[in-house]
Amino acid sequence: MRTGAARGHEGYFHETAFYGSDADFQALVVPFLDEGVSAGEPVLVACGAANERLLRDRVADPSALRFLPGSDQYSRPTDTILEYRKVFAEYAGVAQIRVVGDVPHTGTGASWDWWSRYEAAVNDIFAEVPLWGLCPYDLRTTPADVLADVLRAHPRVAGAGGRHLANPDYLGSWTWPEPDRDPLEVEHPLVDLLDPSPAEARRAVSAACVATRLTRDELDDVVYAASEAVTNALTHGKPPARLRVWADDAHVVVAVADRGEGPASPTAGLVPTERTTTAGLGLWLTHRTCRDVSLSRDADGFTIRMVVGGST
Amino acid sequence: MRTSGVLHATRGLGLHDHICWPYDDPAEFRRRAVEFLADGLALGQRCWYVSEGPTEELLSHVAELGAALDSGALRVVSIDDTYGDGGAVTPAEQVATYAAATRAALADGFSGLRVAAEATPMVRGDEALDAFCRYEHLVDRYMAGEPFAAMCAYDRTELPASAIGQLACLHPASGTGGSPFRLYAVPHARVALDGELDLESRDDFTRALDRADLRAGGGPVVVDGSSLEFIDHHALFALSRAADGDVVLRTRRSAPARLAALVGVPGLRVEAE
Repeated sequence: MRTGAARGHEGYFHETAFYGSDADFQALVVPFLDEGVSAGEPVLVACGAANERLLRDRVADPSALRFLPGSDQYSRPTDTILEYRKVFAEYAGVAQIRVVGDVPHTGTGASWDWWSRYEAAVNDIFAEVPLWGLCPYDLRTTPADVLADVLRAHPRVAGAGGRHLANPDYLGSWTWPEPDRDPLEVEHPLVDLLDPSPAEARRAVSAACVATRLTRDELDDVVYAASEAVTNALTHGKPPARLRVWADDAHVVVAVADRGEGPASPTAGLVPTERTTTAGLGLWLTHRTCRDVSLSRDADGFTIRMVVGGST
Repeated sequence: MRTSGVLHATRGLGLHDHICWPYDDPAEFRRRAVEFLADGLALGQRCWYVSEGPTEELLSHVAELGAALDSGALRVVSIDDTYGDGGAVTPAEQVATYAAATRAALADGFSGLRVAAEATPMVRGDEALDAFCRYEHLVDRYMAGEPFAAMCAYDRTELPASAIGQLACLHPASGTGGSPFRLYAVPHARVALDGELDLESRDDFTRALDRADLRAGGGPVVVDGSSLEFIDHHALFALSRAADGDVVLRTRRSAPARLAALVGVPGLRVEAE
């Protein structure tokens, strides 16, 4: 039997909350954790170091909580999902699992695009799990566009004073985030090719990386990512496919556009698709190896941007 | 060591080499065939020039090697005498025929057998093409271990590019515009792979794996990938399926091992050389 606001709910109870001070954060999250512990539920904390400290200081029994270091747990969405799947499998059969997690965003120095897709996608990905997931966002650091996406992605919202409400802004369907453009993109691209073959794309990207300080693995990753993006554009998109590459000495940006619609679901690239052996795996691999991947759609079609290498 | 990769000439090939030569101009093919056979004669191999047409015409194609014709080291063979009546070949029988001819050449004091064949008539129609592709790999296995070398020429003006690609990828060496990859026999592994395996080669690679019948023989299928320039995860899965989930890919690059570890290909081990 599930306890608390999720009592009677089936599957994932995905809730957000907003706080403006450390005390607000504690007031929102500590009762959520303590209630779970009293009910004998597994209770997990995947927060940044500062928030984790705030919780350890206030909960009734820190030793009853399972702490997943936030910086590891939220390094990239694909790995977060893999890790949660593993952890949830350990608790198969329990009535409810409670998790509080700090999802990264531009205000914490991360790229928001793929985390915004993550927040929308987990509704499907963990739909079957008896999970109460609380995603608190800090109003002192979270930008307005992130807050708008957060509200669209969470069916539930927790308020002050222990209120748990249905979120009237929840869309139930996914909207594309604004494209994350890299500052390098104001420059003229080093490569601009129409309808390259995957092999031509690989050669062009390799050549564009000659003057960079990328490691062997990073070079392999960016070449593979470009090859897969062009392969996807040629097989799933609408022609023409356009490949552009920018690079400075430390990082490389690859953009592949086509005239099609792009993936229909926010889960694309975040999970290895299970429908067929390999379809969708290329995009998932790209999300596992690149420093950042963003997907966007505009009047001209669909664009995937991939960044590999350091940020300076 | 067999010669592999995309070649711009038919010169300099050894006792075990096997090259596919797609051509547009018959005169260019004949020039390349003469070069290929001249090298074989220099290496002491008995040589055959195999093509369609009456014997007198075939003799005129290799006239500049007249001395070898006179000595009997070089023969011209009209295609019907070599491969039967032009229907689909029986791969094992065809290999047995060349194996017998290679043994006969060795018995007569030659260093082996070398054949330059215009094989377009053998692959007219899907069934004939499939049978001949299977034969191309089976005979390639024979060549890897015995002193039999061949140049298989195909007329690009008659055959569709897809047929040329399916044939070229089953030779260790090929002229330009054949196939982005090659799957061929080597003495130290079940097969070797060369070139690039991606979207462009996806269908041909699956077909080539099927035609090469990797499952034959026990134990893990060892694949020499030291000449592979690129392999995508689709090809890694295809390899695993073709080997019934028990395959070792040896490669000089670190990318395939990293890729296989990230994506989890069942029964595939990637070993760095």
